[in-house]
Amino acid sequence: MNSVTHQPRAIEIGNLGRAQMTHADDVAIRVENLDLHYGEVKALNNISLAIRKKQVTAFIGPSGCGKSTLLRCFNRMNDLVDTCHVDGKILLDDKNIYDRDVNVALLRRRVGMVFQKPNPFPKSIYENVAYGLRIMGINNRETIDEAVEKALRGAALWNEVKDRLDENGMSLSGGQQQRLCIARAIALEPDILLLDEPASALDPISSAKIEELLTEMRERYTIIIVTHNMQQAARVSDFTAYMYLGNLIEFGDTNEIFTNPKRKETEDYITGRFG
Amino acid sequence: MRNWIKSGEPWIWMTAGAVALSLVAVYAVVWMTAVQGLGHWWPKPLVETTVKAQDGTIQRLVGELRDSEEISLHRLRESGYQIESDDKFTRRYLFKQGNRDVYGVDFKWIPAPLLGEFTYPKGMISIERHEWGSFFGRLISVKENGNVVAEGDAAWPELLVRLERANRLFDDILRIEKNDIGKINYRLERLRLHQRKLELKDTLTKEAREEITLERQIYEDQFAKLQQRLDELREQNRRDSLTAEVQDGQLIEIPFAKIADVIQPNNMGVFRKIAHYFEKLYEFIVDDPREANTEGGIFPAIFGTVTMVLMMSVMVTPLGIMAAVYMREYAKQGPMIRIIRISVNNLAGVPSIVYGVFGLGFFVYFLGGNIDALFFPEASPAPVFGSPGILWSALTLALLTLPVVIVATEEGLSRVPRTIREGSLALGATKAETLWRTVLPIASPAMMTGLILAVARAAGEVAPLMLVGVVKLAPSLPLDGNFPFLHLEQKFMHLGFHIYDVGFQSPNVEAARPLVYATSLLLVIIIIVLNLFAIRLRNRMREKLRGLEGV
Repeated sequence: MNSVTHQPRAIEIGNLGRAQMTHADDVAIRVENLDLHYGEVKALNNISLAIRKKQVTAFIGPSGCGKSTLLRCFNRMNDLVDTCHVDGKILLDDKNIYDRDVNVALLRRRVGMVFQKPNPFPKSIYENVAYGLRIMGINNRETIDEAVEKALRGAALWNEVKDRLDENGMSLSGGQQQRLCIARAIALEPDILLLDEPASALDPISSAKIEELLTEMRERYTIIIVTHNMQQAARVSDFTAYMYLGNLIEFGDTNEIFTNPKRKETEDYITGRFG
Repeated sequence: MRNWIKSGEPWIWMTAGAVALSLVAVYAVVWMTAVQGLGHWWPKPLVETTVKAQDGTIQRLVGELRDSEEISLHRLRESGYQIESDDKFTRRYLFKQGNRDVYGVDFKWIPAPLLGEFTYPKGMISIERHEWGSFFGRLISVKENGNVVAEGDAAWPELLVRLERANRLFDDILRIEKNDIGKINYRLERLRLHQRKLELKDTLTKEAREEITLERQIYEDQFAKLQQRLDELREQNRRDSLTAEVQDGQLIEIPFAKIADVIQPNNMGVFRKIAHYFEKLYEFIVDDPREANTEGGIFPAIFGTVTMVLMMSVMVTPLGIMAAVYMREYAKQGPMIRIIRISVNNLAGVPSIVYGVFGLGFFVYFLGGNIDALFFPEASPAPVFGSPGILWSALTLALLTLPVVIVATEEGLSRVPRTIREGSLALGATKAETLWRTVLPIASPAMMTGLILAVARAAGEVAPLMLVGVVKLAPSLPLDGNFPFLHLEQKFMHLGFHIYDVGFQSPNVEAARPLVYATSLLLVIIIIVLNLFAIRLRNRMREKLRGLEGV
């Protein structure tokens, strides 16, 4: 585990959001001047930031600050909301994912997502993990068997379920269900994994297991996690973005943010004087 | 008291009472139809008694005692009976005297004061005939070609032996008439249509004409052979007859060919009666009706009902589900879709007879007429699809039950958790893939609920069917061994209409009454069986979805 490898290769971003980029190879997702409206209501205001490859980035902030909304922009889950309107760019491999010619289904295969509440399908554990593969049109039994095992191992669930892959996914415990959802997402071998408060609906032990899993997975995936739990953000992330009322207040190295925040608002929030 | 009301207990009692009342109502329906209908086949003893006629003479009466009721003497006197008594009320009895061919009527109400003593003499026979209903009397002799072969005590065993032979011959005749000749007629008709088609197209060449003539000759030869065989069998079956004495002493001769079954009800023990009961019950379910539907079985009606309901299910399920999927998943939720939804819901409230009228006007006359004109010009002027039939009935009922399926499916779709849909979409599934692989399976129990409601409604519907395809008596089943096996254009019999027909259109009310109940019971049972089947299926689906909220 190279959990303490990250030197302050800081991407310092002011609240008006001009990113001082390092060389582009390190960047997984670049957000440029992103505005998002729900009908008349502005939910995200001129967000610009760069998410680093193979690093864990945490979004923190009080409820309603837009951190989940921002996360759901990365795989265009916001498209499901009829009134949602997006301006600005989100670049993935220099391609704006909001361009007209983007295939949303392919995008979502590259950018996996795990939700706040575990949401396994009412199918067997095996079929849950195989779901995305079958959607891709893979039907070869051996290929799927292999991928399922690999994904379940990757989600640290294999040893618990290897003897009951035919059981309904909903019969697992909450923490196992959430890891099943992670397995389901990584079965597609995405580049980026979005986690929307993945541990908030779980008990402390399950929650700790998920965190442990995240530290293991950071080598392989670019991980973006939304959390309201600041200790969690401090523990698992390399970079942290603090958001408030649709604005990106501060974004930088996690150690920096938690020990020496640049802005007063961030400090107030982190120290608990606000939020 | 006030405290008791405040405690909310009366409310519990009221709600529980409503449940109890509903349960009682349901059981009462089944119980009453069962009691009234299932007694019909129990062999009833034959009563011998005397009646004082209007002119003062004493007459003998033989028959089954069917019913009795309290009646005021005043009413009896007004209707012409001379009864001397000081009582205000007396009883009157309903006798089935049978022998409709001799007396014209087979049911008779007789006031108790006019009746003599009841006896149950052994040896009385009750004959179930293919025509003229029951015969009650005393067996005198059995004849072969008009010569007596057995008399007195020896007559009964002789009768049983010869009856078996007669029944075998009867079955052979029936089989030839229904199957073999039916098949030849069907082929001849097809040949005629084929020829007519060629004539219409002006392609009837000399060779074709010769070929057709040749083929027709083959069928006609076959027909002639069968006809000859039939004549032989009928001749053989005319050999035996029996003589029996009816209540007033007349001797009646009955050919064995006309006899379906004979019993001596007064000689039968309980076990014999039970055996006879189940035999008759079985015949009721598997036989064709006789005597304007007041005798025989109701198999064609059962078959027609089930076939029609299945056809309707096959039509309404995909249509309803697709409509619901569009309305819930694809359409933009706005005033337009709200109007559509309200319209669909209101369709469920349209009286069923209106659907019948629509079915007749649109399906039968318009669609059917056009199909005939396009594809069956050779059959003209006889309609093929342009007349009421099972296809149009199923379609009409599919329309009638469509709102139920749509509403239930929409309900199910709206209960599929958003998180599950998002989970599928986030894995790169398109909306359609999410629908097929996740949303529809989760909503399937709700669809089954819709189908269950639709089947229950369709199986019980009669009014629209009378316009679009149901008949009192269909010559053949809509499904048989002749290509294309399922004859969509054929008229069919239906239990619901059968009940109406037997109950209201029958010339013989008393004979029909138990059949009305029995048929009702059977209809209820069929609906229950269809529903249980669907419910089992739904439970199996639900089992797979266990743990999911709100499904």
